[in-house]
Amino acid sequence: MLYRRRELDLPNGNLDTPVLFPVRNLGKRSSDNTPTYVGDIPDFSSAIINARSIRNRDPMWNRLTNGVTLREEMDVPEDTIVFADSGGFDFTSGEVDTTPKETLETQRQLNADIYGTVDVPLSRKNRAAENQDRIEQSIQFALEASDHHDGDSLLLASVHGYDPETIRNNIQHLEKYGDFHGYALGSLVPIRTDYEKVTSLVLAARKATEKHLHVYGLGGLVYQPLLLYLGVDSFDSSAFIRAAGNRNYLIPGFGGEELQNIEEMERLPCPCPICGQRTLDDIRQDRTALTQHNLWALATELRRFRYVAESERDIENYLDLRFRGNEVTQRAYKTAKQQIRRLV
Amino acid sequence: MNNSFTISDEQQNYTQYNLQANPFPYSPVPAEDPEIFCGQQHVAEQISSTVSSVLATGKSKHLVVTGKYGNGKSHTLKYTRSLLRDRDDVVVGYVAQPGEGFLDIYHEFMYDLGFNRIQELAYNWLASVARDVTDANPMGAESMRSLIDEGDVLLSDIVPEAIRKLSDITRFADFARAIVHMVYEDTNLYAWQWLTAEGIRYEQRKEMEIHSALDDDTMGVRAFTALKNLLLDLGYTSVFVFVDEFESIARLNSKNEQATLNSIRHLMDQNSSGLCVLFGCAPEVWQDVMSEYHAFSERIGQEVALRPLTSEHLYELVADYLNRERDEPNGEAPIHPFTEESLDMILQRSQGNVRQVLALCSRVLDTAIEDEREVITEEFVQESM
Ligand SMILES: [Zn+2]
Repeated sequence: MLYRRRELDLPNGNLDTPVLFPVRNLGKRSSDNTPTYVGDIPDFSSAIINARSIRNRDPMWNRLTNGVTLREEMDVPEDTIVFADSGGFDFTSGEVDTTPKETLETQRQLNADIYGTVDVPLSRKNRAAENQDRIEQSIQFALEASDHHDGDSLLLASVHGYDPETIRNNIQHLEKYGDFHGYALGSLVPIRTDYEKVTSLVLAARKATEKHLHVYGLGGLVYQPLLLYLGVDSFDSSAFIRAAGNRNYLIPGFGGEELQNIEEMERLPCPCPICGQRTLDDIRQDRTALTQHNLWALATELRRFRYVAESERDIENYLDLRFRGNEVTQRAYKTAKQQIRRLV
Repeated sequence: MNNSFTISDEQQNYTQYNLQANPFPYSPVPAEDPEIFCGQQHVAEQISSTVSSVLATGKSKHLVVTGKYGNGKSHTLKYTRSLLRDRDDVVVGYVAQPGEGFLDIYHEFMYDLGFNRIQELAYNWLASVARDVTDANPMGAESMRSLIDEGDVLLSDIVPEAIRKLSDITRFADFARAIVHMVYEDTNLYAWQWLTAEGIRYEQRKEMEIHSALDDDTMGVRAFTALKNLLLDLGYTSVFVFVDEFESIARLNSKNEQATLNSIRHLMDQNSSGLCVLFGCAPEVWQDVMSEYHAFSERIGQEVALRPLTSEHLYELVADYLNRERDEPNGEAPIHPFTEESLDMILQRSQGNVRQVLALCSRVLDTAIEDEREVITEEFVQESM
């Protein structure tokens, strides 16, 4: 069994893992559309933000360098744990416009607890040689960041690769030549529908290091239990925002359902603080409410898994059930199960 | 005894003949790695000369060993292979029969080398590139593998260069990619299937950026040549291909037969160095090939014929086999308990067919023990058959 619980000792407090970092769209061109959740959902006293977007948003960056704290800007308590991603995903097509050193300064200025190193993501559309270049660049950026990093914050090296050897090889290389508190696996979002591939990559990373392992971008309802099962320590997700944007209502075990497909119901099947009190029609018209519910749905998924694990029920039985409905994810889970059994 | 259904607590007593056990192959099928050469001196000399010449000069040379069924062609090829396999500067592949054409020969050759060997070559290739472009100094496949696993060398540092350089050497970029993909667990099976010409789906090729299908004789010749060039670059002196039962090409229709011979001719033309093809062929089929396909036979040039066994050869052969199970040679009577007359009888009964001779010797020896014979006489052979 790879599922594990840890506690991270961070500059702004302690954090129990495994944990989900909800995405805060701070600094993006569209206004910050993340509703307040810290304090409302006790599981999520944390957030992941994009250091590059904030840095590039002049008015906000001016406030942040003139005495306003990031947490004030986010309207959350000062002890909120913040993961500052470098914003690598924005370099998917363009040139990298920052350096590891500059990114570290930004992350430090934001008083982030966890820093992700600058990375250049892969795409399956790229030629293999192009992806090899990008892998190489991310490694060099990570090693540079390691050279410049000091302080109590956690430095996670971003790792990319579309095959297990590359993942293993990169992590071992970084382990040998750098100094990191853990690793963050990227570039998985573009291949997220290839569950078996993603599973084998995550497992390769988990086998390569005992340190903290984060998976970028795959904290949605389907991936959460799979990642927990694979022993991932943290992940992040904007699924709750994106789903709400599409008027999608997330239900653990069922995935998403478009609200327009549900007509004659007074109340939704969820007892969360949003759905528990309000009617379907009410929520239908309130995107913020929908977003908040969706986040509760993610929290529910996480709590369920923990409950199964803590009550010493058989996690594999639970997952057998959990993935029964979907052939694709079921196959991915079975692959993971076989690979894990081969491990122990 | 080989027969596991013969239950007996009684040990056959071979010691009365100064033997530890029955030394003759029980089954008349040639052994995979024969320890005794039961061919003939002139054949041994011709093969040695061809092989030595290739090893010494690096220039390609080919040879046909002809012989009637049972005269020991397979045995000869396999014996030669077993001698060469111990050398670490050559690669030897055995093809049991040519199949439907050159692509089948190529396929069988690759299969005989096997997945692990090809994967090892891939690691060796990465090692050679790593020595060029990194500070690391891997001396072989194993050390390359561990440098990758331990993260001392970054795959992204060496893989693009490995593909580029191998494409240069082989002039076959798809082949280069397939070789490099042998080190990736997600794709090595597809790479292997492509390399052995088994055919893979388009999507699987696409994942490795392989554009062509390896599915006809021309591509087979290209791939073989690419492999040979890779091997020479890695420091091997030569590649040996043993094609047994070559006479079976006579089964093909004349168009396919011609195509197969043409492909082999192309293979030889494109590989003037480092290649040695040894054919085993029935003499009558080889006669036809010689007379009908000059272009092909010219390139082989050399032929050596296995003759049916003579009595003298047989005595030597039997003595060789018996010596395997003796602590010390029987100086005066090397073929004891056989007599020359009994062996002549065996030879006559098996019409010079080596496999049958050996199987008969095996049987007669066991019968002699059961009957507690002191020597095996001509009469005894006759009775026991
Ligand atoms: Zn709800």
